[in-house]
Amino acid sequence: MAEFRFLGYLAEIYGKKRVEISLERPGKLRDILGVEFPEGRSIVLINGRVGNFNGVIRDGDKVVIMPVISGG
Amino acid sequence: MEGQAGKILRINLSDGGIAKEEISEEMRAKFLGGRGFAAKILWDEVRGVEPLSEENKIIFSTGPLTGLPLPSSGKMVIASKSPLTGGYGDGNIGTMAALHLRRAGYDVLIVEGKSEAPCYIAIHDEEVRIIDAGDLWGRTTFESQDKLEAEHGRNIGVLTIGPAGENMVRFANVISQRGRAGGRPGMGAVMGSKNLKAVVVKGTGKIPAFDEQRLREMGKAAYEEIKGKENYDFWIRQGTLMVFEWCNENSCLPTYNFREGAFRFSKRLDGYALEKLKVDRKGCPLCNMQCGNIIKDVEGENTELDYENVGMLGPNLGMDDLAKVGVLNRMADEYGLDTISLGSCLGFLMEASEKGLIDARIKWGDLEGCKKAIENLVKKRGLGEIIFEGVRKASERVGGESRGWAMHVKGLEISAYNCHACPGMALSFGTSPIGAHHKDAWVISWEVSTDRFSYSKEKVEKVVELQRLRGGLFESMTTCRLPWIEVDFGIHWYPKFLQAATGKEMSQEEIFDLGDRIYALIRSYWVRENRGWTREMDYPPLRWFEEPLNQGDLKGQRLDRAQYDEMLSRYYGIRGWDENGIPLKQALDGLGLGDVVGVLGEHG
Repeated sequence: MAEFRFLGYLAEIYGKKRVEISLERPGKLRDILGVEFPEGRSIVLINGRVGNFNGVIRDGDKVVIMPVISGG
Repeated sequence: MEGQAGKILRINLSDGGIAKEEISEEMRAKFLGGRGFAAKILWDEVRGVEPLSEENKIIFSTGPLTGLPLPSSGKMVIASKSPLTGGYGDGNIGTMAALHLRRAGYDVLIVEGKSEAPCYIAIHDEEVRIIDAGDLWGRTTFESQDKLEAEHGRNIGVLTIGPAGENMVRFANVISQRGRAGGRPGMGAVMGSKNLKAVVVKGTGKIPAFDEQRLREMGKAAYEEIKGKENYDFWIRQGTLMVFEWCNENSCLPTYNFREGAFRFSKRLDGYALEKLKVDRKGCPLCNMQCGNIIKDVEGENTELDYENVGMLGPNLGMDDLAKVGVLNRMADEYGLDTISLGSCLGFLMEASEKGLIDARIKWGDLEGCKKAIENLVKKRGLGEIIFEGVRKASERVGGESRGWAMHVKGLEISAYNCHACPGMALSFGTSPIGAHHKDAWVISWEVSTDRFSYSKEKVEKVVELQRLRGGLFESMTTCRLPWIEVDFGIHWYPKFLQAATGKEMSQEEIFDLGDRIYALIRSYWVRENRGWTREMDYPPLRWFEEPLNQGDLKGQRLDRAQYDEMLSRYYGIRGWDENGIPLKQALDGLGLGDVVGVLGEHG
C-alpha cells in the first residue's frame, strides 16, 4: 500500500483527506491520482522529501500533497 | 501628487497645540506612506528618548492606497519607539479610522506630549478636539468603542486602548471595532503613557485619486478576481486557521513554549475544528476575504480567532480546546493585549513553573490559571509582575537557564511558527525590522517546497525579496498583503493601483529600492537608539540551536549556529550592511539616505 494525504483545499479537490492505494507496479503520481491539482500552488513530499507530480511512487511510499501557503 | 493630498495632523497633548503640515514631494517620493512615513518621522523627531516618556511620539500613518475602493485597503500603520523593544516599533491595523482620517484630509496623525488627565482625541474633518476621558478610563476596548459610538454616532473610526495600555503593559496594543488589533510592540502602552485613551475620527470628504474612474474599474475587476480564486471558498471557511493543519504537519507549530513543532491535540484546534464552532466572521473595511472567524467560547461569549492567536494561546500553552483558547483571546482583545506576546509570556510562565524557577504554579493547559494570570498582568501584580515587560525582561527576573527559552528577538516575542527546522524563517524573524514578527517575510512554505534544511544563498535572497514586498511595499501603500499571499491575487495589480492613485509609475527596481530604503532607515534607527548594537541582536533564541525537537517526524532537528551566522552575513552583504548589521555609507548614499550617514558616525 502507498499512503496519500492531502492538506487544505487540495483535500477537497481530491475528495478525501487520506487514501491508501495498493500499487502492483511503480507509477507516476499524477497517473495514480488521476486528478488535476494546481501544480504551481502545490507542494509534494514523497517520504518526507520534496517531489513533484511526475515522481514515481512505489508500494510503501508515503506521499503528502499540500498547498503553497504564505502564513498570516 | 493628486492621490496624496492629505496633510500631517500634529497634536501636542502637553500644551494642546494643533498643527496641520504639508507633506513634501520628496517625502512622498522616497517613503510613499504608511511605514515609510512613520520610519522617517521617528528618525527625524524621536531620538534618545524613553519610550514611555512625554518626549516619545505615536504616529498613525496611512498610504496612497488606504481607503480607496480596492481590495483590503482599509489599513493604517501605528508606529512609535517601542517600550517593549527600545527600537522601532509598528503594526498595521484594519480600521474605519484609516478611511475617516483620509476623508478628513489627513494622511498622517502624530500625537506628542502627554495629557495631564485621561483624554481622547476627536477629529471631525477640520475640527480637532481633545476631550476628557475620565469616564472611559478603566473600560475595556469593547466598552470604549460602544461609549464612543454612543457619543459620536456609529459612522466613525475608533482606535482605543484597554486597561493594559492604560497600565503600560509593554505589549499592550491598539484595538478597533471590537477585535481589530494592531501595534503589538506596545503601541497601546505608548498611548497609555500619554493618557490617551482613544482617537475618534470622522471624515466627510473624498479621498483623492489621480484617475478615479480607472481605479474604480480596476477595483471592481480585482474584487471579482479574488472571489474567483481556487481556494477562495476554503479561505472564507477557515481563514488563516487553514495554516494550523499545515504547520502541524510540517513541525512548525508553536508547542509548549516552542519546545516542539507538532501538537497531539491539533485536530481540536485546527481549521476544521473552527468550522464546527463558527458562528460568524468579521473583517476590515473594504475587504472581501474577511479573516476574522467568530466562535462562542466556553463562557458563551463571541470571540474572533485567527491562526496567530490560536497558535500562541493553544498548543504553545498546551491548551487543547478551541473554545477555551477563545476565552483567552477575548480577554486579550478586551484588555488590549497582543495575543502573540501574551501566549509567549504565558508559555514562559508555565515552563518556569514546571522547572521550579518561580513559586507560583501554572500548568500547561490550565485555563483558570491563565485567566488569573491575565487579570494580574493587566494590574501588574502577582505573576503579572514577572511578564508585563515581555519575556526578555521576564527571563532577567527569573534568571537561571530561562534566557535560552525566552522566545523573542530584540525583545519582541516570536509569532506562531517554530523554527527548529526552518532556517530561512529563523533568519526572517532575526532580521524583521520590529523584532520577531512574521509579517515582513514568511518563507516556510518556500523552504518546505525547495530545500528545507539548507542555509542557502537562495533562501537569504528569498527573505530579502519578501521583506521588500511585504515589509516595504505593502506596509507603505498601505494595504493588506493577504489577497496576494493567501489566495494568489496577482501582485502585478499593485503598481497599476499606485499609478491610478498617485499618477506616478513605479518600476520593480523603484519598489525594491523603496523597501531597501525603509529597511536601512529602520535599521539605522535601531542602531542609533541602542548603544552597543551587535549582530547578536539578529539571533533567534538559544532553544532553537541547542534543544532539538523531541517529537514528530522531524525529531532531532535544530538550527546550526555556524550556518545561521553564514546566512546572516550573506544577508548583511545583500543589504550593504557591515558584519554587525549596521548600514554602510555606500548603501545609505545609494538609497538617498546621505543624512543618516553622519548620524551613524563611524559606522555609516
